Amino acid sequence: MSQAAATADVIFTPLTFRNLALKNRILRSSVSGRFDNEDGSLTQTRINWESKFAKGGIAAIISSYVPVLMEGRIIAGYATVHRDDFIPYWEKLGEAVHSFDCKFIMQLSHSGRQMDVPGVHNYARPALSSTSKKESLHGFLCRAMTVQDIHHVIEAFAKGAWRAREAGLDGVELHAANGYLFTQFLSSGINDRTDQYGGSLNNRARLLLDVIQAIRAKVGDKFHLQVKISAIDHNNVVPWEKKGNTLADSVKVAQWCEAAGADAIHVSTGSLFPHPLNPPGDFSFETITATYDAMISSGVDTLRNYFLFRHPLLRPIFRWVWFRMKRGRPVEGVGEDEARAIKAAVKIPVLSTGGWQSATKIRDAIKSGACDGITIARSLIANPDLPRFWEAGHDLPPLPCTYCNRCLLNAPKNPMGCYEPLRFASHEAMVAQLMTIYNTHPILRVPPPSEVVP
Amino acid sequence: MIREAPVTAVQAALHRRWRALTPVYILLALVALIGVIGAVAGAVLLWQLAQNRTPYYVDVVDEFKYGSIGAETHSGIPYRIWRALPTLFPEAFGGRDDYTAFGFLYEGGPDGRWRDLPIGISRRTYRNVDVVWFNCATCHTGTVNIAMADPYGALRTGRHIVPGMPSNNLDLERFIRFLLDAGADERMSADSLIAAMNTAGPKLSRVEEFIYRWYVVPLLRDGLILRRSRLTPLLAQQPLWGPGRVDTFNPYKLIQANLPLASLQKSELIGVADFPAIFNQGPREGMHLHWDGNNTSLDERNLSAAMGAGVTPDSAEIGTIKRIADWLKTLRPPPSPYRPDPAAVTRGRELYVKQCQACHGFQDANAYTFSGETIGKVEPNSTLGVDPARLDSYTQKFRDYQVANFFGGTPYQFKKFEKTDGYANLPLDGLWLRAPYLHNGSVPTLADLLNAPAQRPVAFVRGVDTLDPARGGFVAPACTPPAAPAGAFCYDTRLPGNGNGGHVYGVTLPADQKSDLLAYLLTF
Repeated sequence: MSQAAATADVIFTPLTFRNLALKNRILRSSVSGRFDNEDGSLTQTRINWESKFAKGGIAAIISSYVPVLMEGRIIAGYATVHRDDFIPYWEKLGEAVHSFDCKFIMQLSHSGRQMDVPGVHNYARPALSSTSKKESLHGFLCRAMTVQDIHHVIEAFAKGAWRAREAGLDGVELHAANGYLFTQFLSSGINDRTDQYGGSLNNRARLLLDVIQAIRAKVGDKFHLQVKISAIDHNNVVPWEKKGNTLADSVKVAQWCEAAGADAIHVSTGSLFPHPLNPPGDFSFETITATYDAMISSGVDTLRNYFLFRHPLLRPIFRWVWFRMKRGRPVEGVGEDEARAIKAAVKIPVLSTGGWQSATKIRDAIKSGACDGITIARSLIANPDLPRFWEAGHDLPPLPCTYCNRCLLNAPKNPMGCYEPLRFASHEAMVAQLMTIYNTHPILRVPPPSEVVP
Repeated sequence: MIREAPVTAVQAALHRRWRALTPVYILLALVALIGVIGAVAGAVLLWQLAQNRTPYYVDVVDEFKYGSIGAETHSGIPYRIWRALPTLFPEAFGGRDDYTAFGFLYEGGPDGRWRDLPIGISRRTYRNVDVVWFNCATCHTGTVNIAMADPYGALRTGRHIVPGMPSNNLDLERFIRFLLDAGADERMSADSLIAAMNTAGPKLSRVEEFIYRWYVVPLLRDGLILRRSRLTPLLAQQPLWGPGRVDTFNPYKLIQANLPLASLQKSELIGVADFPAIFNQGPREGMHLHWDGNNTSLDERNLSAAMGAGVTPDSAEIGTIKRIADWLKTLRPPPSPYRPDPAAVTRGRELYVKQCQACHGFQDANAYTFSGETIGKVEPNSTLGVDPARLDSYTQKFRDYQVANFFGGTPYQFKKFEKTDGYANLPLDGLWLRAPYLHNGSVPTLADLLNAPAQRPVAFVRGVDTLDPARGGFVAPACTPPAAPAGAFCYDTRLPGNGNGGHVYGVTLPADQKSDLLAYLLTF
């Protein structure tokens, strides 16, 4: 394809936010792996991981889930931004990504009660949440936050944004989707508070809007700030749970975020993670049986789930629970309609996530006004240079992502990467691919005596 | 032991939950345990309730003597109680621990030891309880004691058990009366019965004792009391049956058909007749069967007889009944041991052919010939003039009930029963084993039968199996009712149903011709 034709391709037209300009419409959606140190400092492996995507031709990377406090981790081993002395590490990561002409947006996060692998810091305390009711799928325990706790968290988000800006990163995203702390406040299916942070939608959105205002107060108006929200909660994955927020609720929340100073809305789905509709696709019982043991000690209902996953006679129960929400829905562009509804209600750009992989469908979505940009995780894990295939005129790469979700189900225990056996000649080939992110190692050194703590 | 502190918040929560729910878990575990025990006990109980098996005998003669036709299920006595009754009621059993006192026959088994059960008593495991009761051989296996010097034929001098001949020893009424009375006897309480069972056989386990005390004994006593209340008023109106005799249809009306005694006519209440011989059934197909000839189908007659033994439509062992019926089609009686003068036999045969063969067929050197103009047909009793009680006991009303109700909706439904006006002309094969003669056994010997009714014995001894060397039949000395020698019975022809009149054929022949005719009849 000629340069002119490629330029004409809407995918490769620039996307300009108030404070940030992207070279094209494709962003790597937030995805992580257990690459980092127990204290939250990031490693060379993470830099290698992110560089892989940056080199592939996308316009921006939304970081891994980055906790603003150690009490907000979902899986120990993901880099955090809770300490000022981590700024140089993030700076180095930003430098690496920028070297491939790619932007880097840090996703500021707090797990709330959705804490898959708590890590030693969080062993002995229940997670913080809007409620004291345990999480519905795994039985994660939690305690309703006091107003003081909430103020502490707001402050932590503001500081996290400040550290991202100090590290020279290109913006931040508030992870207010997929069941983490913000969702736990936003969702009518979860939030049972009776104070100013519970009850009406306005009250439930207060934490998110307070955080936006606090960030703006801390970093000013010139730093990119986007908000990721779940358009529809579908909170009744466990059938007796309430359904949670509707699309109309989320449209309101998006408008309030815009008014509070957000630069973009990133539209996802579901009030827990993973969720049948996010990421959409298959569910491998053999894979989850091999990895879910890492989570058994994390919740009070996990052992039940393990039996449901492990025993062939019990699997139909979970299969029914999980797949009943997916009937009649596409995998690719599963959230397109919701993104369109939100885009119609706001003036700031809207990003859509959910199974995107083929150039045709992405072009259609953008041209038809469903969204302004697309975020992708799994399809880029399978083919980090996916944009190159589109540029070359292909709709899909030769070995596309199959949406098997084995990458997701391996997350609690194994390095992030593609685990789809159909995409590899052998198991060894798959492992070799997974190991490529470890190729560049930091230079090892002998610590000076002053650095060694007895 | 020091309790280890929980490491994680989840563990602490799980510990709290465990402590709070411990009583619930213990309760659930108990409930589950009780459930498991209940399920196992239920399964064992269902398995036991499903048990319904009976031994199969390779030899059809053993099957006839000891095999089950299905009577035990609804009419039988539990085997352990059967064994215990002689201990409990020594006065009824003559002090013996077997049932010979009622005329039941015992013989040696294949192991050379006396068999546990007499001929005519079969055994079945039903609902895991062994139950015993009647089969075909109960009424159709008798004995003959040959005392003559140098008899010919298959049987030598001595006492022989002959399958297929009438059960000339069995005093069925006395046996039934004993059981009915026992059912109301205090010795049949669970305590004394269980003690007697433990004396007469291996000690019952606690489970068996429980089952007998609360299920088997009450069920048996209820059944006996029911039968007692139905049958005793009937028996009270009948003369004693004596050995070798049965009322075929009246108990059947009261027990199997559930008809009240008050609904029966006075004229039908005495149906007592001799057990018949059942040799050579094949040639009898199509003839009028039963003494009064009320059915022409062997199959129906067989099933009806089985019901008389206690079989019900749902318990009948159709296969066994058919197997025995097939065997009986060709079962020949042992040849007569008499050696009358051959010249007299030849003369007697000429007389017989002229005067008797049309109704009865005839005997050749080795076989019986079932031919004759009226053989197997019903002769009106207005012509015959024998005692009518047996004929009157089978009524049109009962016939209609039988046809409408027994084996309805199955291939075995009764169709051929009919009410007749007389008695059937019977083939005389195995005649030497069929004394006393006429349907009610009112004439002790063949010689007596050739005499006019007034000359026939008024009262004679029944229940002796010794063959009379000259008169044809069993030794039957005269007696004065009710006195009788030990183990025998004084039969009084003057009582209702016992009449010895009628069948006056040959009675007017001169003495020498009678003697010739008797000589020929002794070869049958």
